[in-house]
Amino acid sequence: MNYEPLRDTLKRGGVVVLDGGIGTEILRRNVTWADHQLATKPDFVRGIHEDYIRAGADVISTNSFQLSRRALYNHFRDDAHREHIGAKDLPDRAGKLLAASVHLAIEAREKAAAKRPVAVAAAITTLEWCFRPDLVPKDEQARREYRELFGIVKNAGADLVLFETVNSIGEAIVAAEVAHEIGLPCWVGFVPAKTGKLFTGEALGDAAEAMQKKNVDAVLLNCAPPDDITTGMKELAPRAKIPTGVYAHIGRFNPPEWMFTDEYPPAKYAQECAGWKKSGARILGGCCGTTPEHIAALQALR
Amino acid sequence: MYNELRSRLDRGETVLLDGPMGSELVRRGVRWRKHGLETDAPAVESLHAEYLNAGADILRTNTFQLNPRLYLHVFRDLEHMRQIGAPGLEHLVPKLQKTAVALAKSARSKAGADGRVAIAGVITPIEHCYRPDLSLPYETALREHQPMAEAFAAEKVDLLLAESMNTIHEAKAALAAGRAAKLPVWVSFVLGPEGELLSREPLADAVAEMQKGGAEAVLVSNAPPEDITKAAARMKGLAKVPFGAFAHIGRFSPPSWKFDFHPQFIETEGWPPAKYQAEARKWKDAGARIVGGCCGTSPAHTKALREMLGAGRGN
Repeated sequence: MNYEPLRDTLKRGGVVVLDGGIGTEILRRNVTWADHQLATKPDFVRGIHEDYIRAGADVISTNSFQLSRRALYNHFRDDAHREHIGAKDLPDRAGKLLAASVHLAIEAREKAAAKRPVAVAAAITTLEWCFRPDLVPKDEQARREYRELFGIVKNAGADLVLFETVNSIGEAIVAAEVAHEIGLPCWVGFVPAKTGKLFTGEALGDAAEAMQKKNVDAVLLNCAPPDDITTGMKELAPRAKIPTGVYAHIGRFNPPEWMFTDEYPPAKYAQECAGWKKSGARILGGCCGTTPEHIAALQALR
Repeated sequence: MYNELRSRLDRGETVLLDGPMGSELVRRGVRWRKHGLETDAPAVESLHAEYLNAGADILRTNTFQLNPRLYLHVFRDLEHMRQIGAPGLEHLVPKLQKTAVALAKSARSKAGADGRVAIAGVITPIEHCYRPDLSLPYETALREHQPMAEAFAAEKVDLLLAESMNTIHEAKAALAAGRAAKLPVWVSFVLGPEGELLSREPLADAVAEMQKGGAEAVLVSNAPPEDITKAAARMKGLAKVPFGAFAHIGRFSPPSWKFDFHPQFIETEGWPPAKYQAEARKWKDAGARIVGGCCGTSPAHTKALREMLGAGRGN
């Protein structure tokens, strides 16, 4: 229900504003992100969503990056080892936190009471590490896991799934098929390499066509520096028959945290976004390192 | 300094290894980034000081699971890391190692313990310590352990602890790297639920290989206390060199997003110091000449162990 206004806006060529970084915003406000803070600091996380809504975001994305059972289980040799020494709630922990991440975003929408439609996008990324296409699981295994993850966010009330920071067409196809099967609108964000291709070497135009065939509503570029997003848009836009979008990261990845830089203050970031809009992008937002101020600066581009 | 420690072992004394750095720093609320070495140096140093005051004979550097791949693995490759990563990431590890040794040394000298407490440089599996399936082939592991062992030698640690090894071949590589750097080497192994190495390789083979490779001591670790007790009973018949034992307590609670080893152990209340002490007494009685604490334990556990062992010569 909250998704229809977005679909209409995109259909008539209007601009949809996505929110900015959430994990990095938690860090910028000087809180660790080691456990997403969904169970420990729900008010704080909800507050960031509210700030993004007040800044003018039409879509807020959940604080759920890499939140999956697989990510937790990867820290053990196998089930026997995990059961022997691991925390007992691990089988259910990711699912509960994922549902909680959707509930917090929905609550933020209610509390912020914006006088415009705001959609909640469940942010779900690749099953293995987002920058490592060499680790992508086999299709059928991935399908089982996405059915569970997407089912959880749908039941929790998400309006769409934002399948983001994707590094291969293959995994995106599986996720898109699952989203369609369970009836969740799906946007897919790919990471462009410096070359204007995916990390796998696959062409972004091919990615756009594959996503269109799988009923994806929009194809985006995310989690790369603005210059790479610009390069990527030149590849993506001419071949995309569905709406396109962009959200770049600003600053540098300083694992396990983020290095904030002043290279792209809000006004300058908005200029970059204006350029991407000119190239055809209609969904504009921010990835790691962007803040509510950056999202506020995008309002002029509507 | 190592000769002093060695002669205590040779005399049949049981020496006391400190407790964990990572899990205790995290429990104290230190944000786990760069092991706290850049942002929370005072907390790191004071934890060393607490272990020392509790009676530890050996302090371990706060370098568990710290190696260049830790950072490299969250990028597509080196080029991607240089492009979007924080400047200097590829050269960070030797700097952090240097800081880690300096903090342990500073705690030691402030306590006036230079002549009686040893500092062990800690190297661990290059991949995740609980994932023997990811372990690197011998030659690659040797190539990657070598610079870390040399960095510790350059900082003049007293010994190298190849800790939480999960396969025999990587333990051999770490041992060889330490020996090439002319450091005395102790090797500890993660035990799996079956009581053998986490890789399921027999503990007996691991001990034999380490002795052949010139390890000064072999230890069992990274498993619950009861498992360590069972292993310690077996070690007596297996080890000709001194052996040691240290258990983790509580349950490993990994981070909700993947970033290598995040040392968070919960539900540690089940093993208060007195109970841990009683279990460790069994290790000593089985012949362990090195006892200490693995993840989840604290300076209070170290103190309880010191009470059990009596005042060592160094104290």
